[in-house]
Amino acid sequence: MITRLNSRRIFLKAGFLSSAVFVMSGCELFSITTSEETIKLLQSDIFPKAKELGINTSSYVSIILHHSRVSNGDKAFIKNGVKWLNEEAVKIHKTTYVKLLSTQRQEVLKEIVKTEWGENFMYNMNSYLFEAMFGDPIYGGNNREAGWKWLQFTGGQPRPKEMYL
Amino acid sequence: MYDVCIIGSGAGGSPIAYELSNAGFKVVILEKGKNYSEDDFSKDELGVSRRDMFTPPLNEQKHIINEYNEDGTFTRYDGEESGWSFWNGSLVGGSSNLMSGYFHRLKPNDFKLKSVYGEIQGANIVDWAISYEELEPYYAKVEKVVGVSGRVINHKQQEPRSTLNFPYPELQTNGVTQWFDKACDALGYEAMPTPRAVLSQDALKRRGCYYSNFCGSYGCASGAKGSARAALLQKCEVEIITDAFVYRLDSNESKVTKAYYYTKLGFPHSIEAKIFVLAAQAIESSRLLLNSKNRFYPAGLANSSGEVGKNLIFSAGGSGTGRFIFENLTKEQQDELMQVGLFFNRSLQDWYDYEDDGKKYKGGTIDFLFEHQNIISRVQREMYDDNGKLLWGDALAEKIHKRITTSRVLSFEVFNDWLPTDKCFVGVDENVLDKYGIPVGVINLYGHPQDLKVGEHLAKKAVNVLKKMGAVEVDYSISASPPANLVAGGCRFGKNPKTSVLDKNCKTHDLKNLYVTDASFMPTGGSVPYTWTIYANSFRVADVIKKELS
Repeated sequence: MITRLNSRRIFLKAGFLSSAVFVMSGCELFSITTSEETIKLLQSDIFPKAKELGINTSSYVSIILHHSRVSNGDKAFIKNGVKWLNEEAVKIHKTTYVKLLSTQRQEVLKEIVKTEWGENFMYNMNSYLFEAMFGDPIYGGNNREAGWKWLQFTGGQPRPKEMYL
Repeated sequence: MYDVCIIGSGAGGSPIAYELSNAGFKVVILEKGKNYSEDDFSKDELGVSRRDMFTPPLNEQKHIINEYNEDGTFTRYDGEESGWSFWNGSLVGGSSNLMSGYFHRLKPNDFKLKSVYGEIQGANIVDWAISYEELEPYYAKVEKVVGVSGRVINHKQQEPRSTLNFPYPELQTNGVTQWFDKACDALGYEAMPTPRAVLSQDALKRRGCYYSNFCGSYGCASGAKGSARAALLQKCEVEIITDAFVYRLDSNESKVTKAYYYTKLGFPHSIEAKIFVLAAQAIESSRLLLNSKNRFYPAGLANSSGEVGKNLIFSAGGSGTGRFIFENLTKEQQDELMQVGLFFNRSLQDWYDYEDDGKKYKGGTIDFLFEHQNIISRVQREMYDDNGKLLWGDALAEKIHKRITTSRVLSFEVFNDWLPTDKCFVGVDENVLDKYGIPVGVINLYGHPQDLKVGEHLAKKAVNVLKKMGAVEVDYSISASPPANLVAGGCRFGKNPKTSVLDKNCKTHDLKNLYVTDASFMPTGGSVPYTWTIYANSFRVADVIKKELS
């Protein structure tokens, strides 16, 4: 039978997203922020259309972080990327990503995309956003199929009865 | 004791199970994966295509891959670290559940490549141990029992048939198919409807196709697709033990005595049978034999020839695309283009063999199909601009919206022979173990230069068609990178026990009760997807086993 949702996972999703990220400036601890704040803002900066359509994509990242089929390397990269993004923000604008103005945040993105990690991180975060936005609504994104409707796309039948986690 | 124990429940094992159990024999299948019914299959892109729900996690089971470099060295890839997966479907019915079902027969010359086209330097070409005429009745049987829909046209490469037409009418096609036919007419190419292992109407106690728009990569929710599970295993009384990973076969000098397997939780079990049939898909079948060495067969079971694992082949070729954009189309054509669900179903076999510079070449098949409907992948492909720079924000949204809603991509896939060579083979790595503690398979990869040359020849013909149809951004890629789902060889059949693993009936030369009936037996692969030939050959061997047990 299909691997069933382990209901315990739903209650585990807090974890990394709401826990503190220690942002360093050189060897000094500069600030503490949460990943959830950063990811939410980053995703709305790289693909604002999702928010416009009423689609919440950031909570899908917690599914990825606990997914049985996402490698530990990919999970660690999300965590590291959030930390490095904030460190880059501190380096350029002397404060964490979430405290920057929109134009300043775009400047940070334009800087990090020049680096290998930065380009990969933005690519991955946008891919997770697309998974939330265009995956089956059962996964919590793609609110009332808003993502599909935007692209005049019809999901295949039959639709999944439960998430594959 | 069972009459027959089959290892693997895909297209290679299931015809044996179907025939033997329906003839009253006691048959058991050991299948590593789980069992599913039509009700379990959905079109969940995230689960099926992005999280690989039907294949083993690479951190539990993987391969080591050695890729040949031009300087003569190999680059080693760890399947887990690189994410390079050679798994195709661990479930009852195997990867036939997930196939697109593009069904072409081999042609008579595919059975005698060496005699017809001659030796090729650096390749181990041999003729098959059987002829097309011997396999033809079984191709016909598959059409009826598994169910193949289509329409025979008498093009110049049409192989001989014992029946006039397919038993099931062709599936419905999209209007763009007519653009294709016109373009081919103008070019002097013979467009042919692609036969499909998909029922176009209710038949065989299965429902007909409902045009879900998501066929390849997905399990079929109606049973129309001729998977080994829907077409054969659900139509017989065979006993199937799921979550059973066979890690070793034991033998004496002349017979296999037991198959040992682990359950999901790691408990060991064993099974005895009069006859064992191995059909775990080419790479894993060779791996099991190599991992089953004993005092009688110190180089691996059934491997007195040293040929087990050798001459691994894939399907050579590649793929290409062209895009139709609204700006170049009338309103009527735009509507036709965006009509989803119906199939494209067109192939070209004009160059199944051809002459170039006075030399005769074995060519291949080109199948045409719309780009897969998976929306996340389609959106993801738009993330870079024309200069290779990552896009984001409104610019990305605008590009995605325009491309997805006002254009559509038609793809083609080229299938030509992957020539067997000494450098492409399966081994095992004693130092790398899977979750069961068993040495993993090592895949050594090498593509012969002629494979690329032939692939290029065919791709250029496909490009002509796309351009003639009015497509833009026409592009293709022919490479030596192997399609993991089109794999064969490793236990080639032949008359000489010193140069082949199996006899003409796919029984090992060494052990008189061991057969191998997946694509491992194929010494050369032909220039079509393998599944129809695997099914047909397995039905042929089933008749041999039936006779033996009677």
